[in-house]
Amino acid sequence: MQPLGLRSTFMTERQYVFPQGDDDLASIAARELPDVVDAHQQLRSWNLHLAARRTVGLLPSDIVFIEPPPAR
Amino acid sequence: MLDLVIRNGLIVDGSGLPGRHGDVAIKAGKVVAVGGRAGDASRVIDATGKVVAPGFIDPHTHYDAQLCFDPYAFPAIEHGVTTVVPGNCSLSLAPLRIDQRDSFSRMFRLIEEMPEAAFDAGVDWRWGEGFGNWLDALAENIALNVAPLVGHSVLRMYVMGPEAQARAATADEIRAMADVLRTCLDAGAVGLSTSFVDIDETYRPVPSRWAAPAELDALSAVLGERDAILQIVHEFYDTELTIARIEQLADLSLRHGITTTLSPLFHSDANHKGVSRVMGAVEAARARGAAVWPQVQTRPIDISFTLDQRSLMLLTMPSWWKVASIRDHADKVAAVADARDALVAEMNSLAQRPNGGLGAGGFVVRDVVHQRNNDLIGRNIDDIARERGTSHGDTLVDLALDEDLGTWFIRANIGHNNSPVVGDLLAHPYVHVGASDGGAHVGSFSTFGDTGYLFSEFVRGTKSLSLEAAVKKITLDPATIWGLKGRGLLAVGNAADVVVFDAEHIGRGPEIASDDFPGDGVRWIRRQEGVDTVVVNGEVTWSAEGGYAPAARAGEIATRS
Repeated sequence: MQPLGLRSTFMTERQYVFPQGDDDLASIAARELPDVVDAHQQLRSWNLHLAARRTVGLLPSDIVFIEPPPAR
Repeated sequence: MLDLVIRNGLIVDGSGLPGRHGDVAIKAGKVVAVGGRAGDASRVIDATGKVVAPGFIDPHTHYDAQLCFDPYAFPAIEHGVTTVVPGNCSLSLAPLRIDQRDSFSRMFRLIEEMPEAAFDAGVDWRWGEGFGNWLDALAENIALNVAPLVGHSVLRMYVMGPEAQARAATADEIRAMADVLRTCLDAGAVGLSTSFVDIDETYRPVPSRWAAPAELDALSAVLGERDAILQIVHEFYDTELTIARIEQLADLSLRHGITTTLSPLFHSDANHKGVSRVMGAVEAARARGAAVWPQVQTRPIDISFTLDQRSLMLLTMPSWWKVASIRDHADKVAAVADARDALVAEMNSLAQRPNGGLGAGGFVVRDVVHQRNNDLIGRNIDDIARERGTSHGDTLVDLALDEDLGTWFIRANIGHNNSPVVGDLLAHPYVHVGASDGGAHVGSFSTFGDTGYLFSEFVRGTKSLSLEAAVKKITLDPATIWGLKGRGLLAVGNAADVVVFDAEHIGRGPEIASDDFPGDGVRWIRRQEGVDTVVVNGEVTWSAEGGYAPAARAGEIATRS
């Protein structure tokens, strides 16, 4: 069996990744959104549940969305 | 000679097929005949005019602590519940090292809202450390069946010690956790539970939240080896995150051939589209062959609280939480007076939130300490505030201080109370009826009576489900989802877990205060309505006529198929 990837293989709605190592939103933005202007701020705005967290940084089990919410 | 015959009832066997009249015969704890006319028996129960169904299965409970001092999980059995699943949401009483008991207890008491005095007086840790030892101790003294989960947070603590709540696991630690999980499953666990939302008493995420995807993947592989289930509590307050977790579960289900379940899924009129999208994601997962079951509770969300103890209601208000966490009562009262401005400001801020706050209806005075305040019972704090010319927060603080913080408030119908819509959700073929939280949140709401409410509100009321469909939802469906061998269906050879009830009168009963737990404090319970007899593994354990059978201890550790 292939090792589990760090992103869902079953996307129906919205792409996300899990943090790796000592990731923070800035490092994820740099890796996942290299061509996006102000990617860190974009990522924060798409992940308010993480941007607002006070007590700890990213957790290994956190879902980090790498695209904006769908228009509704 | 048969041991027990339940004669001439409407047999609704759990399959969903139309009921039929006849007898159910029981011998040596097993069903030996269903339908027709049974022979003589040592005991006969006349079920004329009543329904005879398999015992109800409650798949989401936290009876772990209560079962240590109460073999009946009172009053679950009288509602027809004969099998419960404890150990949900990453927390089980084993495997746990002796020096981890204090930290675990603080976590459990906070997350599951179990009073400290009751937990400390009732949980004696007589089994030592191992999961199998815990099950052995439990099996000696239970009146209903228990299908236990292993808590992922506990598993991490057992292998990683304090580091469980600080970092991802190494490859060696993951292998060690997999080995321990395998041992627990072989001892009788039905699966693993994990949490993506809970925090401990210091606001630190619980150990399971520090697990990288590879860890959950490795543990799910063990579940696949043993045909066991994965339960998660997800970010239920956020539609986007809920859908993402469904996709994560679908991945795990397909990779390892496991059944997965997430709880809870609530409906609110403010997020109707969100619930529809969640169910769309579940349907998409099912279309791919993944087994992902959202658990939906039957009851609306009501929360009762005083300002004298930590409550779900105070969780989003740091100043209130800080005050409520003070252990000494006199110090707490003094702190309320000292921090009054901050407390009032927080409460007024909460009151102004459009959704998820107090909104229309707001807090209502549920019970008072002093007779002079009796006229306030049932009144909305907003109304009292207008009458007094004070703010919402000032009114609430004034009243609580006047009563030494003993006033009970209730916020009723917070959500999940649009019965026609909730009924449609419960009837959905991919929805797993559950999420009662039995044995937890004891000071906030009653977790008893959800099964009766399924019939009173959604069979007789909205008519969202037929009688047979409702019975199947809480018998054969959970038995199948959880792989509970020989349960959930009235069939020859199956365990004789049976409930006899009046379909026209079964309900959940009024919510009442009870001081029956060890130590001080009040919990909210509901007594049965319309239930006649409950049989566990062939033993009449509760009846309307005789109450609880004092010596009934026929409960078993329910095994997987």
